[in-house]
Amino acid sequence: MVEKENKSIDQATNEMIEKAASDGCSVVFDRAESMKPCPIGSVGSCCQNCSMGPCRVPLTKGKEETPEAKKKRRGVCGATAETIAARYFARMVASGTAAHSDHARKVTETFLAVARGEAPGYQIKDEQKLLQLALDLGVEISERSNEEIAIDIGEIAMKEFGRQEGEILFLKRAPLKRQELWRKQGVTPRGIDREVVEIMHRTHMGVDQEYKSLLKQAVRTSLADGWGGSMIATELQDVMFGTPAPVLGRINLGILREDEVNLIIHGHEPQLAEMLAVVAQDPQIVEYAISKGAKGINLAGMCCTANEILMRHGIPLAGNFLQQELAIVTGVLDAIVVDVQCIMQGLADVAQCYHTKVITTDSRARIEGAMHIEFDEHNAAEIARDIIRTAIDNFPNRSGSIRVPKQETDLIAGFSHETINYLMGGLFRASYRPLNDNIINGRIRGVAGVVGCNNARVTHDSAHVAMVKELIKNDVLVLQTGCSAMACAKAGLMVPEAAAEYAGEGLASVCEAIGIPPVLHLGSCVDNARILVAATMMVKDGGLGDDVSDLPVAGAAPEWMSEKAISIGQYFVGSGIFTVFGVNWPTLGSKGVTDFLFKDFEEMYGGMWAFEADPIKAAQLMIEHIDKKRKALGIDKARDRILYDMEARRELDAA
Amino acid sequence: MEYKIVERSAPGREKVEVLGETYEEGKPDSEDLGRWRQKLTSREEKLKYLQTGERYLYGKDWYGSEKRKNPA
Repeated sequence: MVEKENKSIDQATNEMIEKAASDGCSVVFDRAESMKPCPIGSVGSCCQNCSMGPCRVPLTKGKEETPEAKKKRRGVCGATAETIAARYFARMVASGTAAHSDHARKVTETFLAVARGEAPGYQIKDEQKLLQLALDLGVEISERSNEEIAIDIGEIAMKEFGRQEGEILFLKRAPLKRQELWRKQGVTPRGIDREVVEIMHRTHMGVDQEYKSLLKQAVRTSLADGWGGSMIATELQDVMFGTPAPVLGRINLGILREDEVNLIIHGHEPQLAEMLAVVAQDPQIVEYAISKGAKGINLAGMCCTANEILMRHGIPLAGNFLQQELAIVTGVLDAIVVDVQCIMQGLADVAQCYHTKVITTDSRARIEGAMHIEFDEHNAAEIARDIIRTAIDNFPNRSGSIRVPKQETDLIAGFSHETINYLMGGLFRASYRPLNDNIINGRIRGVAGVVGCNNARVTHDSAHVAMVKELIKNDVLVLQTGCSAMACAKAGLMVPEAAAEYAGEGLASVCEAIGIPPVLHLGSCVDNARILVAATMMVKDGGLGDDVSDLPVAGAAPEWMSEKAISIGQYFVGSGIFTVFGVNWPTLGSKGVTDFLFKDFEEMYGGMWAFEADPIKAAQLMIEHIDKKRKALGIDKARDRILYDMEARRELDAA
Repeated sequence: MEYKIVERSAPGREKVEVLGETYEEGKPDSEDLGRWRQKLTSREEKLKYLQTGERYLYGKDWYGSEKRKNPA
């Protein structure tokens, strides 16, 4: 008998896939099985940029390409396989940057409304972060009120999107050497929107047809994401909702409750989620839920909106990207409320099989067949109340097949840069020194950022967990965000006890001393900006070189799926970090483009891309890179500790 | 509080007995427990912390590994 292949390493997920099948409901895993990825498009060999095409220029498999064959691989306009692959890659970066940055723009609008007193229910929660931003952006502090300072900060942040010349302001946070390198390479972003628009222009039919030039603009654009849009989103969200600090949470579908109104908020922007978290505790609304026969209201999160409210309130996570439809399959989800990004249209179809209401809330992200309640930060509490009442009203409509998996796991989240700094040194001696010292003495081999999505083309969560276990076993401290963080949280890697069970002896000893897990949850996908700041602080603290590219660090997205992941990876690389992606690689159709990204980038930016589908091999690549950097820093070998007596000291002085 | 003694091995010597963990067992049950930033209350304290805790970015007399270079 052939053993049935599991779609996930998570039992709750497998259980719900089976339930969906028995309920006659098709989910993402079924669709992935019936539709295979296009082998030409997936490697960047298909150009759809004009109506003379689409032009397909596939690479012949299994044999070395001859110059004659290479010459024939051209589109109708004459575009080479290199141009086609580079344009495809650059557009992915532009789209990812646009997504993070439009998120940031919306956050900035809310921030300004809060500062002007036009968004009741919100407030400036973190004055310290506000002051920090004032120092960064040159805003006068003196005796001014928080609101006055915030208006100036919000207006400066808003101008960053439409800036036409100069440099985006947060670049000043980067190590000095990195800033010089960006200027030398000509990739310093002028403004966030400008770089995205320029990619769309350059990749239009008949414009930039030199792949190195296209990829240079891709680097510039991605930096406008990591050091621009994403960083603005993270920082302003921290001011409004609080800078994350360690908090206990729970994750997986087992957090749903049969006897309560279950409401999931899914997407990426935290403004509505923050208000739902407040309103769900209102005694009147709880009373209303009880009047409908429920024992209470269970608010949970999905994907990165979940990460945002977990990091700040400990609100439970129902799961990551590939579990969004499965939450509906439990039969107990009364409403799934969505904002923007990573929301499958399939939700509306799956909801047809059950009683769940799918509620869209943002005019930029409508779904056919879903209910729409437009979110407006000027009237947030009332809208949040309306949404929760809709979920409560739907509670009595549950019928038929109900099954909630038992799996739920504890995790500790809330590791912002500020908190890491504080945890390692306390209030009076906050510092990255203990981290750097333990890297230098070898207890910690290096640091890895493992981030990104889920992808239905690989066993759900398997690559994240395998890679991270391999890294921490080899004394590499892991920083995580997004769906990757959720995968490892479900596997029990985000509690302090995991250090003793899974980490190498050196890393475990440091984690035990500080009291942290070996795998740190830094938040949502815009919070990858926190990883950039953490890497910068390691450089500035000293002892590990002058630039991010000198650090023994690496990045990865082993189950990447979205264009945002490519943009994140590109700004990691552009900031000097070796970055490995799994699943597939979107430029494999062009050897020239792939070699440029994988090899030449190292010389230009100190960081480069790699592709390895096997997560253990990918982890080994990261460890090899970390060891290479340790060697370059001269910290690859333990040195004998010499205790000098007075006589030896005198000899030294004499010499 | 009762102290716990645990055995630990160290490079180049026999196992030794050392004082074990002194924290209380259990899980924090409030979202406020991990919040450290609220310890700083006045604006003056917060600005002072930025100059010391985030000294590489906001300190006037300490630039870390970049001290030898021009300030950012």
